[in-house]
Order: sequence, then C-alpha cells, then structure tokens
Amino acid sequence: MSILTSLRSTRILKLLPLVSALCILVGVTWLLLLPLDDYSRRTYISENALLPGQVHTYFGGSEQDVFRAYRHEVTTLGKNASADGSGVMAEKIGDIFDAFGLKVGKQKFEYAAAGGVYAGENVYAVLQAPRGDATEALVLCAAWVNTEGELNESGVALVLALARYLKRWSLWSKDIIFLITSDSRAGPQAWVDAYHDLHAPPAVASLPVKSGAIQGVVVVDYPTSRGFESLHIVYDGINGQLPNLDLINTAVRIASGQMNIRTTLQEMWNHDNRYKDRLCTMLRGMVNQALGHASGPHSSFIPYHIDAITLQAYGDGWHDEVTLGRAVESLFRSLNNLLEHFHQSFFFYLLMAERRFVSIGTYLPSAMLIAVNFTIAAIGLWLKSGRLNDKVEGQSTDGKVSEEKRLLKSAGEAPSSTEQLDAVSEERPLLLSMAFVVAIHFLGFIPLYLFNNLNEKNSAGAFYIFTLLNVVLPPVLCAIFTKSFAPTSLHFTLIKCFSLLLLGMFLSALATLNFSLSFLIGVFASPITFISPTPRRKWTIGAAWMTLLQGLTPTTALVGVALYWGEPLSEILKEAAFGWRVWGMWTQVVVWCVWWPAWIIAGVLVAGSWAVEG
Amino acid sequence: MDRRSFTVIFAAVVLRLVLFTAFPSLPDLLTNRVELSTPVTSFKRLQEGLFLYTHGLSPYDGGVFHQAPLLLAFFTTLPSNPIVVYLVYILSDVLSAHSLIQIATSGVSVSTPYHTSPRKSSTWPPWAVAAAFLFNPFSIATCIARPTIVFTNTVILTAIAKGVQGQGVAAVLALAMASYLSLYPVLLLPPMVLLAYDSLPVVKKGRYLGSFAVMLTSVFTVAAAGLGALSWGITGGSWEFLASTYGVHLLLPDLTPNVGLWWYFFIEMFDSFREFFLCVFQLHLAVYLAGLCLRLRKQPLFVITTLLGISSIFKSYPSIGDTALYLSLLSLYRHIFPLMRYTFFVTSTLLYATLLGPAFYHLWIYAGSGNANFFYAITLVWSLAVTVLVSDAIFAVLRDEWETERPEMKGKEIVQI
Repeated sequence: MSILTSLRSTRILKLLPLVSALCILVGVTWLLLLPLDDYSRRTYISENALLPGQVHTYFGGSEQDVFRAYRHEVTTLGKNASADGSGVMAEKIGDIFDAFGLKVGKQKFEYAAAGGVYAGENVYAVLQAPRGDATEALVLCAAWVNTEGELNESGVALVLALARYLKRWSLWSKDIIFLITSDSRAGPQAWVDAYHDLHAPPAVASLPVKSGAIQGVVVVDYPTSRGFESLHIVYDGINGQLPNLDLINTAVRIASGQMNIRTTLQEMWNHDNRYKDRLCTMLRGMVNQALGHASGPHSSFIPYHIDAITLQAYGDGWHDEVTLGRAVESLFRSLNNLLEHFHQSFFFYLLMAERRFVSIGTYLPSAMLIAVNFTIAAIGLWLKSGRLNDKVEGQSTDGKVSEEKRLLKSAGEAPSSTEQLDAVSEERPLLLSMAFVVAIHFLGFIPLYLFNNLNEKNSAGAFYIFTLLNVVLPPVLCAIFTKSFAPTSLHFTLIKCFSLLLLGMFLSALATLNFSLSFLIGVFASPITFISPTPRRKWTIGAAWMTLLQGLTPTTALVGVALYWGEPLSEILKEAAFGWRVWGMWTQVVVWCVWWPAWIIAGVLVAGSWAVEG
Repeated sequence: MDRRSFTVIFAAVVLRLVLFTAFPSLPDLLTNRVELSTPVTSFKRLQEGLFLYTHGLSPYDGGVFHQAPLLLAFFTTLPSNPIVVYLVYILSDVLSAHSLIQIATSGVSVSTPYHTSPRKSSTWPPWAVAAAFLFNPFSIATCIARPTIVFTNTVILTAIAKGVQGQGVAAVLALAMASYLSLYPVLLLPPMVLLAYDSLPVVKKGRYLGSFAVMLTSVFTVAAAGLGALSWGITGGSWEFLASTYGVHLLLPDLTPNVGLWWYFFIEMFDSFREFFLCVFQLHLAVYLAGLCLRLRKQPLFVITTLLGISSIFKSYPSIGDTALYLSLLSLYRHIFPLMRYTFFVTSTLLYATLLGPAFYHLWIYAGSGNANFFYAITLVWSLAVTVLVSDAIFAVLRDEWETERPEMKGKEIVQI
C-alpha cells in the first residue's frame, strides 16, 4: 500500500521517463560492453565424451584419387542436373551410393511460394552402424547447389568419397546418413520434414528409408576445385535458434587445433580478435538471428532440436580436400562418442570470435532492460491517468460525476488527496482505448497476409504503395478516431499505456525465444516511450516527432536490410514469403503484429496531439 | 432477454463459427495445448474413449480416458460430423451466457436479503456480463479447444441461475451433474443451499434453514447416486469408471503438465510422502469452505465465485477454462472493482503469464533448450496472479460490506493491525 501511495506522488511520476531512458541506455551500453575480456568468456568443451581431435585420421592417400574421380563426375553432370526436379542428379548419385552397398533413398519435393515453384529431388544413403542399433544417426550433407547458387563440386564429391571411406570402419555406433540435397534452401527442409513425418505428402514425398534420431548434422560447402584458406563455420538456424555450442567448439577445435585450418565466423574474414572485430561479429550474428532466415542448408535441421553446422571452404590457400575430409572424419569420430543428445553446453549464446562467447545470463538483461522500459512507462502512464482523470472529474461541473465520487465528496471529512485517489483511481474510460489498441493490433494481419501471399512480380510495387500509405495512415486513423469518438487526452494517455504495456510484454516474451529480434525491435521502438500523449506542445515539435517516427518504421528497416545485403527489395520480400511458406519463419508475425501496430499507435498519438484539445 | 443480449450472443456464436471453420487447424492446435486440455477434460482423450467404447471395449482400458461415462453416451448419439461437435460446444457456451444473464438480471450480486451494496448502481447490465464471458479470449480458446470442462462450466452456471431464482431442487440437481462431471463442484453444495434459501420468496421463508439444507443435500445425494448408477449401466455393469475418473482427480496418477501447481510438486515428490501430501492438497481445497460460508453469509453467490476461483488455482487438474469461469462470475461484481487495489498488477501479470507460458513450453518441449522449471515458473506466476485477484476481490467485498455498516468510513484508508 505504502509503495503504491508513494508511487502516486508527482515526483516519482516525473522521474519515470528518466528511469525509462536509463533502462534503454544501460541496455544498449550493456550490449556494447560484452565483447570486452571482462564480460565474455573463452569457449570450452562441456561434454567430456566428445574428446575433439583425440583420434588419428586416415582419410587421404588413394582416397584423394577417388575424390578426384567423383569430382569429375559431379562437374560433368553440372549445376543444372538438379534443377527443375529432373532427377538426373539423384539418379546418378543414387547409383554411386548403391555401388558402395548402402541403402539408398530418393525424395521428390515441390514447394510453391510467392508465385514461384521450387522443385527438386534429394538423394541420400544410410550407412548402418556396425556397433549400433539404428536408434541414433548422424547426417553428413552437401547441397548440390550452395546458397550462393554455385555448383558445390568438391563438397558433393567429398561426401561421396567419405561415404565410401567411412563405410570401411567398424567403429560407428550411430548410423551415418549421407545426404545430397538438390538445393540449399528447400531441399534440406523437405528432407528433414519428411524424416519426422511432418511433411505435406503430395508436394513433398515421404522418405523410403529412415534411421534413428538425428544427433548431429554437418554440411560441407566447398564449391571450387582449388585449395582453400580458411573454414567458415555457419551456425544460425531458422527463427534465431542456435545449435549447441559444444558442436561449434568441437568443429573449431578440430579445425584449428588438429588440422591447422583457420576458422572464421559470420563472414569476418580478417578477425584480429580486438574489440571492434568482436563487436562486429556479434552484431552480424545478432542481425542473422533477428532475421531468422536460413543461413545455410543446416538451418532447417535446428528447429527439430538437431544440432547442425555448415563448414564452408573460403578463399584461396594451401588446404585441400584431404584436410577438410580429415576434419570431417575427426568431427564424426567425436560425434560418434556422444552418449546422449547434445545438452551440456549452451543453446543461447552470442559468439564474438571463434573462441569467445557470452551466454544468456550475461546478455539477456540488455534486451530485458529495453523491454522493461516500455513496461515502466506503461505503469507510469497508468498512475498518471488516475491523476489526470481526477483532475478532469474535478473540473467538470455537469452531471457526469458518478455517484461514487459525489458520495466521496459529500463525505466531507476532507480526505487527503492520496486517499481520494485510492478510491477513484479505477474509474477510467478503459473500453474505448483498449478496443482501439486491440483493433490496431489486428490490423497488422493485413500486411502480414498481403506480403506472404503476393506474387513476387507484384510484391515490390505493393511494398512501395504500402510505404506511402504507411506515411499517411497515422494521421488518417487519428482523424477518423477523433471525429467518431471525440476522445479526450485521457483516452490518448490510456492508449499509449496499453500499447506500451503490450509492446513490453511481447518483447520480453520474445527475448526468451529470439533475443536479437527482441533487442533490435526494442531499440527501434524505444523513442515511442517518450512521445507525450498530451497536447500541450507546439506543432513544430509534433512535426519533428513525426519525421523521427517515419525514419523508424518497419518499412524503413526492410529497406535497410535490403541495403545491408546489397540485394534488391523484391528479393528480400521473396525470401520472406519463401521463409514463411517453407521454413516456418515467424519474423514477419513479430514485425507486422507487434512492432508495426506499436509504431502506428505512436504515429496516431503524435498526430492526435495536434487534433485534441485537453 | 433483451435485444442487446441477443446481439451479444449472436455475435459470439458467429465469432466461434468463424474461428472453427475459417481456421481448420486451430481447433486441433488448441486441443493439444496443455493449458487448455488436461488429462481429465481433453477432447483428444475423449475421442480415444469413444473409440474404445464404440468398439465394445472398456473405455477406461489403457489409462488414457478419465472422463465421465455419460459423456460417452452423449457423444455416441451425435452424428460423427465435426460441425455437430462444434455446434454442441457453441450451444454450451450460449447456455452459459444465458445463465449468466439470468444471474445478472436477478441482481443477487449487489443485493441479498441481508446486504445491499451502496455501489449498486455501477454494476454492468446483463448483456455486458454475458459479453465479458463470451468475448473473453480465455473462454473463446477454451470453446475452440473443446475440453469437457465447457460442459461442467455450463452446468455450474445453470445451477447458480436456478439457485438465484429460488429453485433449490433444480439447483442441486444441476450441481450434482457438475460434480458428476468433474468432482470438485461438490464443494459448492453448502453455499448453493444458502443461495437457494436466501432467494426463496418471503412467503416460503418460514421454512427452517436446517431442514431445507437436509432436504437439498438428500436430493443431491440421490441425484449423484442416480447418475452413478446410470454410469454403471452405461459401462456395462462395471464400477471401473469410479477409479478412472474420480480416482484420477483424487490421486493424480497422470502428471501431464498443466497450469496448476500439482504436477511439478508430485513429480519431485518421494513416493513415501505421496499419500500424505495428496491428503494435504485435497484438504487444502476444502478448508476454505466453512470459513467463507460463515464470513460471507450475507453473499452466498460471492462464496461460490470465490470457491470457483480457489479451485481454479488449487485443484488437481486446473485449466484456463476454470479461470475463465471465475472471471465471468467476477464480472457480476463490477461494483466492487473500484475498491480493488491490484487490478493493473493482476491484469499485467495474467497477460505476461499468457504470453510467457506458451513461449517457455515451446523452449522446453520443442526447442529443447529449456526445461520443466521454465514452464513451472510461469504457472506459479499465473497462480500468483489469480490468487492475488481472488484475495483482492474478497477484500473489496468485505470493504463494501463494512462501508454499508459504517458509511462514514467511505474512502478512508484501511490498515491491517
């Protein structure tokens, strides 16, 4: 009681915006401090069973000739062998697998998204474990065409050579599945969906052969026939989910410790392990996580709680396919040791160098502080609306004063102001404000539906029209709202209160699922906290606010993403629609149903402050 | 019923039909949510029971189905069209709303023979009470998920509606049905007797409360026994259903997570303490009964409301549907809302828990990056919020009563000594 009473005092209410600002400031600074040595930690192998790099690897010698022969086969088939679901690639590779004496399966799939059709045929072979009972499996995968659209000639050849080589060992206690997908985006998704019987049967075929629960996936991406300089480890999954840190650590340790290959993360090719590069790596990781798209063929496996990474050969150097093959062999020997599913190490982390990370306990507070800033502001507005209401009621002399307050005034015992507030603070006009906020949030389903279902030819045009509409929408909405309901400034205060409350709530729930998305949206939306919903302000300030808001819309962010990737906007929209249909990506839902409504309401508040007289 | 009530009910029916038909995957998605479907109410388990029953096997074989046999008999008579099932659930919600309208029209929540609230004028009209039930997202989600708690809620509301109309026998018959369906409504018998007694017309008031109570209790017992016998007949002359339905409520053999507090506690429990703590947990539910009936003798409807709130937190398999029932009854007490102190806190906490619950469940079950503690923490928060709401409502009602006795104390701050 005493806390509430003191909270209602004006001084603390005036302090609340300051507290909000402090939360944002501390939240952002917190994140910027993370790359420092004092706040991040060195990575370590948590699962003792892995024993990375403890085995001698034997891939090499005559295997290299076999590899070259397969590479020749792959190059002869060419990049288009897997296109349009022709099945040439699957036929040929299936024959090769068959020659090893492995059980071979093929899978046709076809997805339709954004007006385009994505078809292909995956082929895979199961090596049954000599020492296992087919309850667990590992996957070695290569996509025929990699994410850049190049023929993955050495990658596919390496998988074939390794399939032949690994079959000779009798030490496997888990089945090994060798998977060649026809592309990097739809193929792995179709395969992993069908593996878990969660596919849509006519478009995506079922798998003829299956094995046990998949414990780990390694994807090899090596699109040249030259030597490579470093190994790029890609680890982001769909919707910002990450593989267990132990898998990445094992790969890093084997590559750099045993094989002497330099490893890189997040396309930071020249990492000097100082503050700036660490921060850059971390931020790139966060952007990838926030977008929630597939960064490689491994990404599709991660939502199924399968830990997966892609090993990309990068640059021109003196490492050859034998080195990569031995690295993969060593990695599989480590995975073969696993006694149970990866669980020891972290699932939530930010990597800032190949051997430096922060875990969730250290970084979560920054996103939470930003989410909390909205909640604090909402509580402040709620308390303030109680006071505002009291003032309004005190001023109005007509018969609108409710019986409750008349009784209260006639009590005549000169109750102190806090007590008075206590008794009346609930009498707020909630329904209209609440209905408005809810309605705007439902409005978000329109762009969500639109951009997920439009044909790719029209999507860019539709986006520009939507951007224009977006500029005028808040004032128009505000005009309609003020004309039809004659809201007071109290209504606007409550609208802001509910909007911020919802935003804070969504963001803190989101922070547990996808930290980066929550953080970035929180930062973009943070100015909303400081918009004053009461109209005592010059129109110039209102105009300045409006300009600032227009710079922070979700549409601007989308253009920003397009610039960041250096790709045309239509490509981004296509990728988003594809992600929604095929990968089950839900970044759009957050953008259109959480962030966009909050932004629209902020715009309405700014516009409303011109229209409404206290 | 006036035109507004009709409009509200019509809109609610349309909304539910749209949700059922326009999003065909939604019903099954919600049916699988542990927050909505518990082992004793789940629609999926009901279908399993129906399958066994129609194939001539005992529905309780296999330990999946824990619901009353009459539900089986009822659902086997329905055509196996999903639309019919949807309509049955929608009809059930409409009947609940109808009962709420009757309760609100009677005005028992503001004035009983012993107490009339000074804030009488600020109640919601009946249509608004119905709307607060029908458009509550929790009620809608519960209706779409089709747990059998929907029928229990309807029967409880019917019992209360009969109670406030002074039809004591009809009220306890409905209550017997509710207890038959999900056991815990049996706790509502004493306040229901009081409610029916208070609502009797003055001419009949000559009757002594004691004999009235004995009469209604025997009606209740006979009705419950009759339902039991009927079930015995339905299941082919076997008493197996007793252990598989009420036994499950009482002994908690199925530890599927839900929004309640029991499952986690009994997962952690050493077996030697299990019986003791089962007794403690069950007694804890009954403990409130006498105290509330005595202290709030003037407002038996509020005793029923509060008991429903308490059992929605502490019963063995609670779900969101129970909370929805409590919230809809609480909307009859609009006039005490200004006296409640933590409405904003409770609303925000409930909303936070509603969002974080599914998020943490996802992290635990699907993503595999969380564990059971995540979800349990959120169910604790949820229960805390409902507990605060229940106690805050009791505070407000007591304060309302107190201000009736001492009008000069209106608006004064209260300090507990």
